[in-house]
Amino acid sequence: MRKFAFIPLLLGAFALPSTAISADKDISTPLESYQAWSPEAVEAFENLLVQDGGRVKPVYTFARFTLMPFVGGTKVKFSTQDGEKHTIKQSEWLMDVLFRGEIARELPTFIVDDSEAVIRIGVSPKSKRDRYSYAQLQKGRAKLADLAAQYAEKQQKWESKEKDPEFELDRIESMVLRLGRNVSSYEYLLGQFGYARGGDFMVNEDILPEELKKLSTTVNMTEMLEKMPEMTLEQLVQMIRQQTGASEDERLFAGAMKLFFFHANSGRGVALFPPRPHDHAEHEGHDHPEGEVERWVSVGEVMLAGLESKEARPWALDHMKSIQGIMDAKDDDAAMVKALQEFGEAQKIEAGVRGEGARSAMEVGLYKGNYFLNALVFFILGFIFMAFSWLAPGGKYARVLLLIATICAVIGLVLDIYGITLRSIIRSRPPITNLYDTVLFITGGAVLLGLLLEYFTRVGVGLLVSLVAGILGMFLSIKYEAKEATDTIGQLVAVLDTNFWLATHVTIINFGYCAALVAGLLGIYYLAGRFFGLITGNEDREFYKLVTRMNYGIVCFCLLFALIGTILGGIWANYSWGRFWGWDPKENGALMICLWCLVILHARMGGMIRDIGINVNAIILAGITTFSWWGVNNLGVGLHSYGFTDGIWGKLFGSWGIMLIFILMGVPLWLNDRKKKGRKVPQDEASA
Amino acid sequence: MATSNTEKSPGNWLHFLYKFFTSFKLATLVLVLLTFITLFGTLAQVNHGLVASKRFYFDSWFLWYSIKEVDGSFTPVFPFAPGGMLLMVILFTNMLMGAIVKVKKRLRGIGLLISHSGMLLLLAGGFVSHKFGTDGFIALYPGMKSSKVESYREWQLELIPVNDADKAEKAFVIPTEALNALRLNQEKVFPMPDLPFDVKINSYAANSSPIPTSAPMSAQVEGKEIDGFKLANQELSKKAEQNLPGAYVEFVPKEGGDPIEAILWSGSAKFDPKEKNMPFQFRVGDQRFAAQLAKKTWRVPYEIELDEFIFERHPGTGVAKEYRSRITRFEEGKESQSLDIRMNEPMRYGGYVFFQESFGPPDAPAGQMYSQFAVANNPADQWPLIAVSITGLGLLIHFCMSLNKFVSRTRKSNKKKAEAA
Repeated sequence: MRKFAFIPLLLGAFALPSTAISADKDISTPLESYQAWSPEAVEAFENLLVQDGGRVKPVYTFARFTLMPFVGGTKVKFSTQDGEKHTIKQSEWLMDVLFRGEIARELPTFIVDDSEAVIRIGVSPKSKRDRYSYAQLQKGRAKLADLAAQYAEKQQKWESKEKDPEFELDRIESMVLRLGRNVSSYEYLLGQFGYARGGDFMVNEDILPEELKKLSTTVNMTEMLEKMPEMTLEQLVQMIRQQTGASEDERLFAGAMKLFFFHANSGRGVALFPPRPHDHAEHEGHDHPEGEVERWVSVGEVMLAGLESKEARPWALDHMKSIQGIMDAKDDDAAMVKALQEFGEAQKIEAGVRGEGARSAMEVGLYKGNYFLNALVFFILGFIFMAFSWLAPGGKYARVLLLIATICAVIGLVLDIYGITLRSIIRSRPPITNLYDTVLFITGGAVLLGLLLEYFTRVGVGLLVSLVAGILGMFLSIKYEAKEATDTIGQLVAVLDTNFWLATHVTIINFGYCAALVAGLLGIYYLAGRFFGLITGNEDREFYKLVTRMNYGIVCFCLLFALIGTILGGIWANYSWGRFWGWDPKENGALMICLWCLVILHARMGGMIRDIGINVNAIILAGITTFSWWGVNNLGVGLHSYGFTDGIWGKLFGSWGIMLIFILMGVPLWLNDRKKKGRKVPQDEASA
Repeated sequence: MATSNTEKSPGNWLHFLYKFFTSFKLATLVLVLLTFITLFGTLAQVNHGLVASKRFYFDSWFLWYSIKEVDGSFTPVFPFAPGGMLLMVILFTNMLMGAIVKVKKRLRGIGLLISHSGMLLLLAGGFVSHKFGTDGFIALYPGMKSSKVESYREWQLELIPVNDADKAEKAFVIPTEALNALRLNQEKVFPMPDLPFDVKINSYAANSSPIPTSAPMSAQVEGKEIDGFKLANQELSKKAEQNLPGAYVEFVPKEGGDPIEAILWSGSAKFDPKEKNMPFQFRVGDQRFAAQLAKKTWRVPYEIELDEFIFERHPGTGVAKEYRSRITRFEEGKESQSLDIRMNEPMRYGGYVFFQESFGPPDAPAGQMYSQFAVANNPADQWPLIAVSITGLGLLIHFCMSLNKFVSRTRKSNKKKAEAA
């Protein structure tokens, strides 16, 4: 009968990815053909450095988390008029946006979950959930800007008025706001190197008069900067606000200044340039608070710095020319590779002096290695091998298949641990610093616990638990990364800036979480297994007693880690917030896990629950853990604001619903046990 | 009859109580109830905020069914469940009696005995902190010096005789507890034995806002107009420290004469360390007085001066990377000490702990910000550290012993099966 117990776990494991892959659909574009970038150019580009989110990172990471919120993934798929189908990855897409805007405008970059959102901005809808190019959204651009501003204000009121439902955005409004923000961010990228495009405007050209557009085809901004007088931003703004002079020269000069301002303004956002090294005398004049690191700058800021100071001008011109060089080389593969490599070398030297970007190659390796996706593949393979072993339980082939499944689980675990280790090294932090890290860590912990159980018991249960935990956890990590679409190696807020507490409290409490989830899986295995055994009349009571003993041990393990982790959290809170315990939602979540472990242990010792009770309560413990892990972060209250997330109640209730189904399987089992006991007692009495 | 007498004898009752308080059933029930209370107390924070939820679920002996009053406060009607405080007291008793006194002292139970002792210490520490701990804050701009700690949310009514040089000599106080007991439109006279007048509060609102009578919305506000203003009652905020109480007050001269009416509003107290309170001023006889709703304050036995506040963001973002304060501590008869207080590195001195809490004003440039320190006094400050060490050790011993037992049992059972096969 044991072989039936995997069915619910299997169904649960494969229910998750459906929405993750639904975005992969071909969309045709008006592009006649598409010339892919050479792999060497892509490699040189994605290894460039950029400062974003408070840290210096490879462009690969920047591209990944820039594209993700737009399209909901890391690839853009489309077909061209010549019938070819194309799939480009984030780096190629960003190269198109920065250097070949005319192509990028036609790529289906924006996912819209409900066509109602595009109807609202006056754009013809495609299918219910579809992707749109920037060009396709142009018709509704003005309306989108208006509505997004309106909804942003409404959302701000909702936040400032203690989440008054009157100001809560509905689903379509949220979508329009998100689309508006995405399109604005996209336009910044598209206009980034506008000065180097020889008058080929990609965005905001409507706001320029015809005369300036014409002028832009003849004026070279780099050459112009070489000849300009020193001027601050304020002076520049004042000058372009003044009436244009009467003479042709004056008009030309005023127009050129306006263009310079336009391009400098469009060129803000992507900080590709380390700050200019100051000499001592100059540095004294700057008012940098102690310890503050000067930030990297964008090409727009480079232009303005060059305009402001003649001393900075050679530096600014160098940078502007290097970008111009890349732009000019875009149609020649070899020249493009050379230009990008030269730019990258110069960047790395400057960054190296500042002690930045040293691990960027490792970071690119982390993402390209796809360790977590590969771990998922191994867990699935392991599961398949294990499922085949159930066809002939106990035989020689089954033993071989189980051995292969175990090897798959171990490889999956090693890949997960390797990925986690790389992430820790890249940011020089302990393994867990954010919610995404917890998914990777808890999955690894659960797989490890399952394998340890298997090592001690050798009955296949621990292996099954570890494979199912691996599959669920790795799917969750992929889904969560796509949902949040932000850099998961981000910088820490001040309160988390302590490796000691991150390494102790956070790591220990997460071991507690993974034990609770393993307990839940064991509970599901027990109840589902016995339930199907009851139906088929084939029940191995001794085996399930062993499962219960395993679960009891896991609950003890969970209590040990959850309790120590929780109290350590209190001690940390006493150091940073001034109190040991403040009934904060995250603290309460951890407390509830400890309390329920204690409920199970005391109820068992007091004879109130037996095997079924332990397993039912283990599933409840897993439910409490998911509430503590995810639910309290979704409440949006408390001091642990750095871990907040939203929009996951539906999935949480779904998981609790599934758990409830398994818990309810305990009812017929309990009734059956009682019946059997009832029958046994008179016999015992008779024999007495 | 004899049996009945025996059942009612004191010895039996004591035995019953002993069995009751040492039972696993009681422990399980209390733990289940505590889990539910923790869950509901957590969910309640979304709609009611931390302070109100904590008071209702965790600091209470019972959970009360209550009726919401016009001013947003709640009047309890009947209790429907035990509160967090009661459950924790029962749990403490149960642990002490069952796991320490009653339990058979055997080697195999040593882990559990140790871990329960640690948990008792932890609960005791929680109780000591709750009953005897204080918390407040000090906010300082660079160059400012103070020893005065302000409460976050406890307000009191202060009456201050003022001399001709505009100096306050002594303050007479109507305490927080007395004010919190008042309701909207509830009148109460507070006799002031050392002052030439008594204070009559005609209405007290826990959160309020003065509305000028010239404003159109003032027509909808109930209450008397005083000096061109009415006091509008506001819904209580989820963040209790944002509530601004206000009151209609009369100062009734003891020697006769017309009472002096005033609206006292806590919003006129200072919120930025540079600001000064603006009390209501009046005269009774020849003496001038000032009256104000001000936050409760107390002093630490030394002064601290903020020398510099250093605030650093992650480059190119608004995210705080670090904020720390360089301070100098001055204590009578001792040499001054300079030190840094930063996140996760508080200053513990003289029974008080200073934590780097926050800063402001929000958009002020670097160098022009004030630094705010949370100041806590907790006699059980380090108890949790001792408790976690004891509990951890106990659980570890127990877990290792259980694991050893489990592994040897499983191996035996597997061996038996193999032999049988």
